[in-house]
Order: sequence, then structure tokens, then C-alpha cells
Amino acid sequence: MSKNNDSIDKGTEAGNRSANAAAVAGTGPSVRGAAAHPRLKELGFSLKRLIKNPLTIIGLVIILFFVFLAAFAPILAPPPRPFDPFLMPHNGWQIQPSPPSAEAPLGTLPSQYDILYGVIWGTRNAFRIGIAVVAANLLVGVLLGSLAGYFGGIFDEIIMRIADIFYAIPILVMSMALVVAMGRGLKSIVFALIILGWPTYTRVIRSEILVIRDMDYIQAARASGSSHLRILMKHILPNSIFSVIIVGSMRIGVTVIIAAALSFLGLGSDTGYADWGQMVSTCRNWIVGPADNRLAYWYVVFIPGFVIALFVLGWNLLGDAIRDVFDPKMRRR
Amino acid sequence: MSLFNYILRRLLFMVLVLFGVSILVFGVLMLIPPGMRVAAYVTSEKIPPNQIEAMIEAYGLNDPAPVQYFRWLGNIFRGDFGFSATAEAPVVQGFKTYFPTTLELVLFSAPLVILVGIWFGTAGAVNKDKPVDHGIRLFAIIGYSLPTFWLGLLLLMFFYGYLGIFPPGTLSNEGKDVIFSPEWNRITGLLTIDGILNWRWEIVWDALYHLMLPTINLIILSSALIMRLMRSSMLEAMGQDYIRTALAKGADRKTLYYLHARRNAMLPVITISGILLAGMLAGMVITETIFTRKGIGWWMARAALQLDVPAIMFNVLFLGIVFVVINLIVDLVYAAIDPRIRLG
Amino acid sequence: MEKLLETQELYTDFNTFEGVVKALNGVSVHVNQGETYGLVGESGCGKSVTVRSMMRIVQSPGKIVGGKILLFFREEDRSRGIDILTRSETYMTSMRGDDISMIFQEASTSLNPVLSIGYQVGESFNFHRRGQILKETVAELEREISNTKFFLAKAWKTLQRSLFKRELRVLNQYESQIDTTDDELYRLENERETASLRRKALLRRRRDHLRETDVLIQFVKRVPFLALYARRLDRTVRAQVVELLRSLGVSNPERIAAGYPHELSGGMQQRIVIAIALACNPILLIADEPTSNLDVTIQAQIVDLIKSLKQTTISSVLFITHDLGLVAEVCDRASVMYAGDVAETASVRDLFHNPLHPYTQGLLRSVPKIQQADTLNTIPGVVPNLIHPPSGCRFHPRCPHAMDICAKEKPPTIEFAPGHTVACYLYTENK
Repeated sequence: MSKNNDSIDKGTEAGNRSANAAAVAGTGPSVRGAAAHPRLKELGFSLKRLIKNPLTIIGLVIILFFVFLAAFAPILAPPPRPFDPFLMPHNGWQIQPSPPSAEAPLGTLPSQYDILYGVIWGTRNAFRIGIAVVAANLLVGVLLGSLAGYFGGIFDEIIMRIADIFYAIPILVMSMALVVAMGRGLKSIVFALIILGWPTYTRVIRSEILVIRDMDYIQAARASGSSHLRILMKHILPNSIFSVIIVGSMRIGVTVIIAAALSFLGLGSDTGYADWGQMVSTCRNWIVGPADNRLAYWYVVFIPGFVIALFVLGWNLLGDAIRDVFDPKMRRR
Repeated sequence: MSLFNYILRRLLFMVLVLFGVSILVFGVLMLIPPGMRVAAYVTSEKIPPNQIEAMIEAYGLNDPAPVQYFRWLGNIFRGDFGFSATAEAPVVQGFKTYFPTTLELVLFSAPLVILVGIWFGTAGAVNKDKPVDHGIRLFAIIGYSLPTFWLGLLLLMFFYGYLGIFPPGTLSNEGKDVIFSPEWNRITGLLTIDGILNWRWEIVWDALYHLMLPTINLIILSSALIMRLMRSSMLEAMGQDYIRTALAKGADRKTLYYLHARRNAMLPVITISGILLAGMLAGMVITETIFTRKGIGWWMARAALQLDVPAIMFNVLFLGIVFVVINLIVDLVYAAIDPRIRLG
Repeated sequence: MEKLLETQELYTDFNTFEGVVKALNGVSVHVNQGETYGLVGESGCGKSVTVRSMMRIVQSPGKIVGGKILLFFREEDRSRGIDILTRSETYMTSMRGDDISMIFQEASTSLNPVLSIGYQVGESFNFHRRGQILKETVAELEREISNTKFFLAKAWKTLQRSLFKRELRVLNQYESQIDTTDDELYRLENERETASLRRKALLRRRRDHLRETDVLIQFVKRVPFLALYARRLDRTVRAQVVELLRSLGVSNPERIAAGYPHELSGGMQQRIVIAIALACNPILLIADEPTSNLDVTIQAQIVDLIKSLKQTTISSVLFITHDLGLVAEVCDRASVMYAGDVAETASVRDLFHNPLHPYTQGLLRSVPKIQQADTLNTIPGVVPNLIHPPSGCRFHPRCPHAMDICAKEKPPTIEFAPGHTVACYLYTENK
């Protein structure tokens, strides 16, 4: 019994010998059907590499910083009107922005809205928008993509055609139309982005599933009588979920930028609310200062936008690092 | 399948998608309450409240959706897109006024974006893991993360506010005087081309001068995408077997990278160039608002704020069509270039 | 027989994620002039790594970490050979495709899909036979110029001719400089005094800075329309490519040359790969499992092709395979490798009739014979992990004759009979 089990197959590669595979110095495809144990070990490798990459650390630090801001907002910036903390405090009604001072460490916007307050409370909005949209999109996208990819046929055709149609129109412009239709405000922005954003995830998961679906171990599972649902949950999704998570983490940044852009155009909150995009839009009349100090209002132009950029940068760095580490093609080096 | 069949299939598919797009746009249109939509049919000032209901009935805005859809579609095929309050003219007229400005910026900056992206992306791949590469990757990721509007504002503040160069807008005041004077022939609407055709070179320089800042803005923001793609595409090509063959033939490093690898690496970049173009067009809403260039993006932004429904709908439809057509063109170009597809 | 290429105690490691893969564990093989030499073993035993080390095209993260690779190509090198591990990359690129060529296993992926066949085959000519191409083109142009009446055409051709002549002159200068530098480096190779070392370093630096073309030509090549002058060379190259393809039995070579790799069948693609390897008449052809992915009929064709080429153009072939039948058919001498070690080397006759190493014996035993009715013979155990290879002789865990010493130290290579060496402790007492 043991003798036959240990037979060497002369023509083909003996199993999953990663070391020898590397030794042959060829460029064969990475073997995906790894058992759980090597996968866990690989996770360890991946996490270690993640930590070593300086960009990851920066991304992580940035995100954690913002989480801190969002979580401790009531303490860091006590709201003047407790029933609506997102209303920014303003010290007077003077239109001209005030430079950074003791009361307003980051300066004020036109009409004296405190920038620091807006930044801190705006973080909550940013997280809300980003996570809500991406989570909803992930759910819908994974659902539809799994249906399309796994069952194929008419499901696939219909779902993908609809996805193509949604894909055809630029999100920014279409969401503008949707927000106009639904009425201005952050809620409308979130709804619009949820409605428009799912095709990306659907496509990604569908293409992953198409690859996995034809693999031998799925055929084996089918042959042994597993139900569709079981196969999906146990075999297919765990293997394909990585790509979608990577896409999701990259998309949080994009989502926040689009939402900010919509607010910038005036489709978000009204003036005086802690909405980063809205804050940026107030600077448009104050780009050029008086002749003797042309950069006088730099803080209005620079700071709110910088915060957005930092937030998105953090998510992008993190997403990039996650992708570098978990991308199957790059795993072996 | 042969090239002809391929083109045919793609064309049919495109038509299908266009219909789908129109349905989607119409769906959004239906979300807007009839009271707002009726404004599209009125060219003068506000309608007195008691007449609104009557007008809604008269224009059939209470009819069932499919009826309205086909009516709307019929209007579109006849070229009737309604009247735009923000443009103070029929929508089509407004489009003719505003589109050339947008086109000029896109045509001017797109090639630069692509070239910069390809150049730096290749440089990053060739010098992988060296400081140059890290610098390029950092630049790319920052460029990708920057909010489009923020960078523009900063550039304005620095170059225009502080240094006093590269003003916003499309032309200086003197230039505008020339444009609106009777001797000026508005042939294409693109200031640079018209300037040459009218043989008024000062207009050409003026227009270029005003194009500088938006172009720089777009280059920083958009080339990042191409840079990253080119770099990863090059790296993937370098891992292929044919590189090994070329190496065994005696190819030197330069030939390996710039001939064998790059030609293969360019293919995905060409695909994404089309998408990039389309994305740029969509992003014009922001860019034109910031730099006060009166193109269709600027128009769209104003229309959104002032609830000018016809203008919004038209722009969305227009961009949708442009996207679909660009995708088709990209697929065709890809088919023409990649010998594997071209010859079946 | 005289040695052509020899490796001495070659060690190659791969620095991977999971650890250092010690792929080659002191491999010593040599190929003689005029013979077909076989390298046999299972997948992963190090055959490919050995030949890639020989051509110094080991892919990262691989690195040659010890040993020597000696070439005896030129008459002058007879005595001690050139150790190419001490040579620069410039030297290697000039040698690859010219003196040593390689053909690979998977022909379809070995060809660049976006370049035409004619271009890919002609590239070798462009790299290594540029002088010859230039000379031919110049001669052709001279003939044409005297026949052309039309002024512009004549002027253009004269311009082309003068540019080519200039390039040819620069190239000749370059090559003679390279030759003298190489000669001196070879003479000084084993000298260790400071003066010699300094001179060698100077020579190497100078060699790296030599350029094949001069500034004017590079400049002209950048000028948008002028650069087209070089197109003329492509014609000459293409003619040679077509001739080469025809001689390899490719029908309708002009059309094939104008086409692309994906249009061809697997067997035809392999012929093209062979054409690329043969373009500059290499002294040694290395064939890395060229037939493993082809079906048997095509395999036979390719093998016949190689055999016939052996009689005409190539002098020596290094043939890698895991198929013992092929070894018997094609090779004169062969080495059996196992897990980075050379187990046994002998003439094919001796190897099959008197296998010494237990691994060779196991291999030969496991080849199924037609009369066999019962279970197939196998070698018990599995191929070892090369990150943590077995100590001593790497085969000892699976060897039926393993002794205590086998686990302790790597066995020396014994010459059991003239031309028949084996690395096994079973044969050390007899000596």
C-alpha cells in the first residue's frame, strides 16, 4: 500500500512542492488549491511582510489617526449645539476668514466657522459615507456576482448587461443627476453612490468565480453531492473573497473623493455643516489674498482639502499594501 | 472569428447598451417631481402656481412611464432636448457653445497625460526597487489619492495667487474682446485652432497660456493611473518566457526592456487610455468649475445647482454615449494592434 | 575527445520566500566536442538550473554561488579554458546566441506574440552578425548605385551606403579592441600580483565602456525620417532568415517569416525556436526538454531534425530530458542528476548496460517493459525538499544500499571505468 502511494510520477510535478517548483526556475502558474494549513502559514508570512513595508505602516497610522478623531470627536471638539453636532460653531458673522489663533487653531472659514471643528466632525461623516457605501456595494456586488459567475447562463447575461449599462455612465455625473432628483444632502449622496457603485464588485467576483468554478476540486465537490450553496460558501467564496476585499479597500478612497466632490459642487450639506467637501468649496472666493499677502487665506484653501487627501491616501496605501501581499501572483517572491 | 464579425458584434452590443443607458437616464428623470420637470418646457420666467397643474397635464407629465419614455426618446431622435435655463437657450445650442472649450482641454492634455504616464511607468519598471522606482510609485499613489478639486485650488493659489501666472478662465479680457468682435470667425470653437485659422496668433498664445494650469492639474492627477498600470504591465511582461528566449539570444538589457517587454506592456495601457479619456471628460465638471472654463462640465455643475433638468439629462446622456463609443473604439484599436486578435 | 565546456563544483542557490533552495550541490559535468551529451533526471533535479547557470541566465532569486564554468571554444583556450563566471555581462551577451544557444521546452510561450517571426529570428543576426550584414548590404548598394539613374534615389542610396560603411568601420574597430582586451585578460587571468590585478581592472573597465556605434550614427537613428535608412538592413536580414527557415524544412518560409507565432502549430513553433538558436551557427546547442510538450509524432520530427543538424551545422548538443528512451536514441554520453547532485556519468551504452548508481538502477528498472504483467517498479520515497536537503548523499533516504557514511558526507565522484564516473560510496572501497 505504502509503496504505491509513494510512487514518483516521472512526467509531472510531484504535488505542491513549492521549493522544487522554485528550483526549476520556470514560470508556471501558482497553484491555488492549497490546503488550510499552508494557507495559515502563508498568512503569517504575508502579515509579516505587510508590517515590514513602510508604506503600509504609514497608511495604518493615518487611518488609526482618523479613527481616533472620529471616535473621540465629542471630547476633542465639544459641539455647541448638542442636538446637531455637525453644525460648526462660528465666532461672529464676519465673512473674511480668520487666520489660525488660540480659539481656532486651524483658522476659520468664511463666516467664521471653525476649521478644526469641521475637520474633526467631518471625519465621522467621511467614515460613515465610505464604509456605508462600500459595505452596501460589497454585499450587493458579491451576491449578484456570485449568481452571475456560478450559475452562468441567463443570470450571467442579464446581470452583466445591467452592470455594463451602469458602468457606461461616469459616476460623478450620474450621481449628480441622482442627487438632484432625490434632493440635496449627504443622505442622497450615499444613496446615489450605493446605487451606482455595485458593478465593479460584481465584475471582480464574477471573474474570480469563473476561474475557480472550473477547477478540479469544485468538480469533485459537485460529484460528491454537495449542494450549490455549500460549494459557494465553503469553497468558492473563501478563495475569491480576497480580490473583492482588495477592491473594496481601494474603493473607500474613491468613494470619499466622489462624495466630497459632490459636496464641493454644492450638492451635499448646506453651508456651516461639518462636511469636508463643503468646506473646500467655501474657499473659492478667497484664493488670492490682498496684494501684500497673496497667500493670506492659505488655510482655507489648504487644510480641508489636505484632510481629505490624507484620509484617502491612508486608505489607498493600506489597500495597495494589502493587494501587494495577497495578490496570488505576487505571493511567492 | 474574423475582424468583421468582431466589429459587428461589438456594434450591436453597443446599441443595446445605449438603449439601456437611455432607460437608466430616463429612470432618474422620472424620479424628479413633475413640477420641476415642467420648467423644461418654459422659456420665460416662473410659472404661476395655479397654472403648474395645467401645464403638467398639457405636457403629459402625468402619463404612465413607458409612454413618457417613448415620447422622450422620440424627442431626442428629433434633436429636441428641451430648453436649458442656465444656458438661456435650447439645450443643443448650449452644447454647441460650451463643448468646444471642454474638447480643447481634453485634446490638449490627454496625450500629455498618457506620455508622462508611459514614460514614468517604464522608468519605474526598468529601475525596479531602486530609489527612482520608489519615488515614482510614491508620486503615483499620491497623485491617485489627491482630490481633484483640491489640487486645482492649490495650484491656483500658488501659481496664480502667489506667482501671478497661469490665470484661470479661457482667455484674458483683451482676448475676449477679440473673440466677441465682428471680425472673429468662430469656426471650430477651439480657441487655439480658431486662433490659427483666423491668423490671430496672440489668441493662440493667450489660450495656451490659460490652458497651462488645468493641464498641469490633469497631468498630476491622471498620469498616476497610467504610471501604475504601465509599471505593473512591464513587470508582468518581463516575467514571460519570451524574455528568456531573447536573453538567450544575446539581447542586452535595453533591448529586452524597451523592445520586447514594452511592446507587450503597452496593450493594456492602450485599453485604459480610452477609459482615461472618458474619465477626464467626466471629471471636467470639477476641473472647469475650479478654473472657470465655460465648458459642458461647468454647465453641468450650474445646472445641478439650479435644477436645470434638461441640461442635466442631456449631459448625462451625452457622457454615457461618449463612454460607450470610446469603449468600442478602444476594443477595436486593441483588436487592430494585437496580432492575436487581428488574424483570428 | 576534447572538452568543449565544463562546470566544476557548481553551486547555485535560490533565495526564496520559504528559504534558500540549494538547487545545485557541486555539479561537475562536461561536454565534449562533437558529441550529443544528455542530462537526465526527474523534474526538479536541477538539469535546467545547470544549463541556465552555464549561460548565466538563472532567473532571480537564483544566484550562482560557487564553482567554475570553463569554456574551451578557441584554440588558445585549450590549456585552461575561460572561466565565464569571471566575465562581465557584456561578454555574456555577446556569447549567448552566438557561441552557445538554447532552445526551450514550451515553444509557444517562448516566442514574443507581438513581433513577427522574421523579426525574432533575424534578431540574432542583428546582434551577432551585424558586420556581415553591413558588408553584404554595402556591396548590394554599390551594385545598385551604379545602376540607378534617378537622382534622388541615387543620393539616398549613397547616403545609406556611407552610413553603413561608417558603422561597419566603427564595428570592426570595436571588435578588434574587444579581442585585444580579451586576449590580454586571458593571458593575465591567473596572475595575482598587484600590478596585474590593477591592469586587469583597468582592462575590464575599458572593455565595458567600449561602444559598438559612434555618436553620429546614434544621432541619425534618432532623427525621425533619416532613421529609416536602416530599413535597408532588414531586407538583407530577412533574406537570410528565409534561407535559414528553408534549410530547416519550413515550407513557404517567406509567408511564415511575415507572420506571427500564434499562427503556427506547436511543432512549427519549435522549429522556429530552433531556427532562432541556430541562426549564428553556435558551437554548442543546449536543448532543454524541447520535445516534452509535443505529441509523439512531432517529437520524432524534432528529434530527427536535431540529429540531422548535428551532422551538418552544429558540432555539439547538450540534450536535457527526463525520457530515458530519448537518451538512448539521441545521446552519445549522459549524466544522471538527482536533487542537485550528479549521480553518474557515462557513455550511453555503459549507462544502460552497467548502471552503477542505485538511482540510475532504480530509474532503469522503473521503465515499464512490454512484457511486464505485474505492478510497476518504483523508487520508494519522495523527491527531497531542497531547502532542507538530506545530509551527505542526497539520495540516501531512498537508497536500498544506504550505509552509515552516506548520511554523513557527500560521496566523492569516482572514476569506475574510463569515462564512467559515479558518486556513490559503494564504489569507493574498490579504488
